[in-house]
Amino acid sequence: MTITRLGQPIIATAVSIVVRASTQAVLDALAVRGAAIVKSQLRGRVIDAVDAGGQSLLGGTSSARVATLLGQGLDAMDGYIGRYLPQLILTAVATPLIVTALLLADLVTGITVIITLPIIPVFMALIGMATQAVQRRQWQQLGALAQGFHEVVQGLSTLMVFGRHHRQTDRIAEVTEGYRRRTMSVLRLSFVSGFTLELAASLSVALVAVSVGIRLINGDIGLALGLFVLVLVPEAYLPLRQVGTQFHAASEGIAAADDVLDLLETAPPAASVGHSLTVTTRRPSTTDRSTVAPAPGSAVEPHPKPALSLRELTVRRGERLIIDRLSGEWMPGTVLAVTGPSGAGKTSLLGAVLGLVDAEGEIELDATPVAAADRASRIAWSGQRPDLTGGTLDSIVALGAARVDSALVSRSLQWAAADDVPRDTELGAAGEGLSGGQAQRVALARAYYRAVERSSRVVLLDEPTSALDAETEARVIDGVRALADDGRLVVVVTHRRSVMAAADAVLALAAPCELPAPDSDSVGTESQPLDIGRGRR
Amino acid sequence: MSASVERNGAGTVDRAARRPVLRAALPPIRVFWPALALGMLASGSAVALLATSSWLIARAAEQPPILFLGFAIVGVRAFALGRAVFRYLERLVSHDAAFRVLGTVRVSVFRRLLPVAPDGLNGVRRGDLLTALVRDVDALQDLPLRVLQPMVTALVVSGLAVVGVWWISPAAGLTVLVGLAITTAAAATVMAALSRDADARIAPLRGQLADAVIEYLTRWETLRAFGADAERRERVVALDAQLRNAQTRQSAAAGSVAALFTLGAGATLLAVLVVTDPVLASGSITAPVFALLVLVPLAVFELVAVLPAALSAWWRVRASADRIAAIVPSSPPSELPTVSSSPAVVPEGPLALRLRGVTARWPGESRRALGPVDLDLAPGDRLVIEGSSGAGKTTLAHVLVRFLDHRGEYLLGGVDVRTMHPDDVRRHVVLCEQSPHLFDESIRQNLLFAHDTATDDELLGVLDRVGLGEWCRARGGLDAPVGERGRLVSGGEAQRIALARALLTEAPVLVLDEPTANVDPDRAESLLDELLGAAAAPDRAIVVISHTPVADRLATSRLHLAAPRE
Repeated sequence: MTITRLGQPIIATAVSIVVRASTQAVLDALAVRGAAIVKSQLRGRVIDAVDAGGQSLLGGTSSARVATLLGQGLDAMDGYIGRYLPQLILTAVATPLIVTALLLADLVTGITVIITLPIIPVFMALIGMATQAVQRRQWQQLGALAQGFHEVVQGLSTLMVFGRHHRQTDRIAEVTEGYRRRTMSVLRLSFVSGFTLELAASLSVALVAVSVGIRLINGDIGLALGLFVLVLVPEAYLPLRQVGTQFHAASEGIAAADDVLDLLETAPPAASVGHSLTVTTRRPSTTDRSTVAPAPGSAVEPHPKPALSLRELTVRRGERLIIDRLSGEWMPGTVLAVTGPSGAGKTSLLGAVLGLVDAEGEIELDATPVAAADRASRIAWSGQRPDLTGGTLDSIVALGAARVDSALVSRSLQWAAADDVPRDTELGAAGEGLSGGQAQRVALARAYYRAVERSSRVVLLDEPTSALDAETEARVIDGVRALADDGRLVVVVTHRRSVMAAADAVLALAAPCELPAPDSDSVGTESQPLDIGRGRR
Repeated sequence: MSASVERNGAGTVDRAARRPVLRAALPPIRVFWPALALGMLASGSAVALLATSSWLIARAAEQPPILFLGFAIVGVRAFALGRAVFRYLERLVSHDAAFRVLGTVRVSVFRRLLPVAPDGLNGVRRGDLLTALVRDVDALQDLPLRVLQPMVTALVVSGLAVVGVWWISPAAGLTVLVGLAITTAAAATVMAALSRDADARIAPLRGQLADAVIEYLTRWETLRAFGADAERRERVVALDAQLRNAQTRQSAAAGSVAALFTLGAGATLLAVLVVTDPVLASGSITAPVFALLVLVPLAVFELVAVLPAALSAWWRVRASADRIAAIVPSSPPSELPTVSSSPAVVPEGPLALRLRGVTARWPGESRRALGPVDLDLAPGDRLVIEGSSGAGKTTLAHVLVRFLDHRGEYLLGGVDVRTMHPDDVRRHVVLCEQSPHLFDESIRQNLLFAHDTATDDELLGVLDRVGLGEWCRARGGLDAPVGERGRLVSGGEAQRIALARALLTEAPVLVLDEPTANVDPDRAESLLDELLGAAAAPDRAIVVISHTPVADRLATSRLHLAAPRE
């Protein structure tokens, strides 16, 4: 009966339903996958840029900015790549097809749709223009308001110290209420565009429906054609309406994409670091021990070759001269203290020796020139910040080693006076979970591990005791001495008098604030090449 | 970040702990009923629009006098307008209600925080935890907006539509009901099997990837120097691939669920057609009603298609509620001070401190973090506390200001602090924290909250004392902003502001916890000198915890803190 009478249309309907369902599923899956792939690629390219651009991207705030951009920033692109773009393409393909079908089926309806269709983008544009400026301003204010609760929670212990925590409940309620009022005034505008879209589509459909209805009554068209047209008309408006709906989510993603692309474009020359200090060297204030021979009883045989030689080492950051033609040679068995005020180039000096900072001039290890890229593998280093990585304590101390030598980890921790850190400690991402002093000593242990594991003859330590108390510092100083006596050159950047007193030589870098502009020739001629150490020259 | 919370929290949270958190996120019905009603009206209009318009077209094809169609024509127009208007109003009203709920949720979580803060929060020694907590609290507003409302609206309106269809033709009604039930059940099964697992993996993976990227970017120099950069990069790439994989799976699941609803709608439409055709043939329904019966299921399925999104929103809200319940214990742990019902009054004037055999431990940690410690402090004393890290210096500071409870004897002005209200103790023993929080306000506001009746002259006076007078004037005075989390001030300036705040309270006892922890090493000693010089007063007792050496002229006594003994 039904089946025999309507067999063919039912089958056709069933087939079209299956086709529609499956294409819909595939479209969704592909769109999200596409977004994920694009995000992976952009992430990879930014990391490539960091690798290539090196420290120019890694100056303080910029690394935080890059990290945020790669996280939340890229996620904002989901809406743009995953939804907006496919919808845009779909609209460009589907809308003309549907309109053509309508035109072929029923000319009057086709023409009505062609006339009413542009109303939607025109409305959107008009509303957009009218509200955009207001909305942007209000969203910015909202950012500040949204912080309110966050601030109270973050600063809770400070509030408790001053006994202000009890009255914060009112403040939270008040701030949230303010947030609600402002957000609602933004939303009232945002939702108007959705309302207009829906209304425009509804009214257009109603317009077509009424004309179809009247022509049906008059018998101008048949029921089949009337239904066909009426079911198809909303589909003609649907893609365009969805473009409008996705637009807001998309604009955030476009902004994020712009930021990422900006970053990729500006990455290599972004070296405009704001230091106004440059460096020159002056004849250092040497300590008594700097000129004497190795301490009697020292186990070290004086090595015939200097462990580290610098010739005319010059470091620039952008236009600024940080280190100007520094020369010197230091023998193994020496503890060399590097001092000087902030910005004098102490850290840059270590960076240049390590090969992480671009430098002119020659740097030799064991009297052999070594390319910048190969120096890090022959030098043990501990930076100014502990910069611990996440993971188990063993894996942190043995960073970069092919396998973990547990006994050496124990020795390293003991050497760095870090044996109070429980061995089963596991640190969160970026080495969170230790106090400042503990982190510093673990970072020292890491440098010691590397020095011993790689038999490095040069060890660079940047402010190794800045977070340590006097007693622990004394232990570390003893360790540094022992490391040098083992046949190594240990270069220690420090402010501590106790460390300087224990050094064989002191290299004092001056912040040349009083000097003329860094790029003028006079700086170069006034500065004196450095010659210090107990090696020969 | 969120990953670690998951690790700590997921298994241990039971329903009982989650329930009060969720209840706080439920809006009272009198706030929420307009949103629900408008949502139902909007969805109802959509179904009615399709019903009346399909009836109208079919009836028009029978070419009746136009008068007979007037009612239906008005109906079509009204429902078309109504759908748009109700939808707009519903969105406004429901967002408004959700924001109101946000206020109540924040206040309720904050109330829950107060008795356990700052030291009773699980894992609070990790700084980013509070940020995650705030995010989770804000996620709770999805409960009314994205879970309850779509679910209630879809169920009620589709239920009514089924009843309506049933009333016209029980066979058609039953068919629609069965179609809806099968489709929804299938969609929920697919989601639980594919998407729930992927959903659960995506958030932690996203956190791990962000952590790995941040580690790579911020530790780049170290990784390069230790030759570990390639290995870490591979880790980033691997995590990225895992995340992409999970997202692809999730989107495949979402795509199949959407396809299921399309299939279900189509199958139901065909089934209704087949089932109702004999009824039409028997003459008990007319052709226009037949058209209505066949097309209405389409609108009903469109309504129900929002359920999967509501379901996954529910899973997210539940996970957030679990994390909140795990971080903020509902009752204070035993390591925190308790408030006695009739607290003793702290004596006014200069105060002496006396500690005998004091030990303490942090909530949730089995190891003792301090002591035993003996110390005496008289007005005018400046006691320097030294000791290696891990000796319990910060723990001692928290015991002194009653953030943490202790064992042993701690007398303030000769009275046992346990008999006093902790808030009252803190009015007399003020802590300058290691990382003082600066609020995103002006310098004036950041000082005033310590002593809100202070005049501008007093504020400028205290800034002069801590060596910030010039600095403040150079920035245009007390109205200068300090930036979000004190971004616009250096570590040393933040410590000076914190000391200025503490001095404004005129408390007789001051505890400085590592004031030079976030300061350049070459500026640490001079800063400490200046801070102690500014704080010193004949009737004020000062405890300073520092790894930076303190000059002998500034210290009246020293205490070396040894690692805690059991």
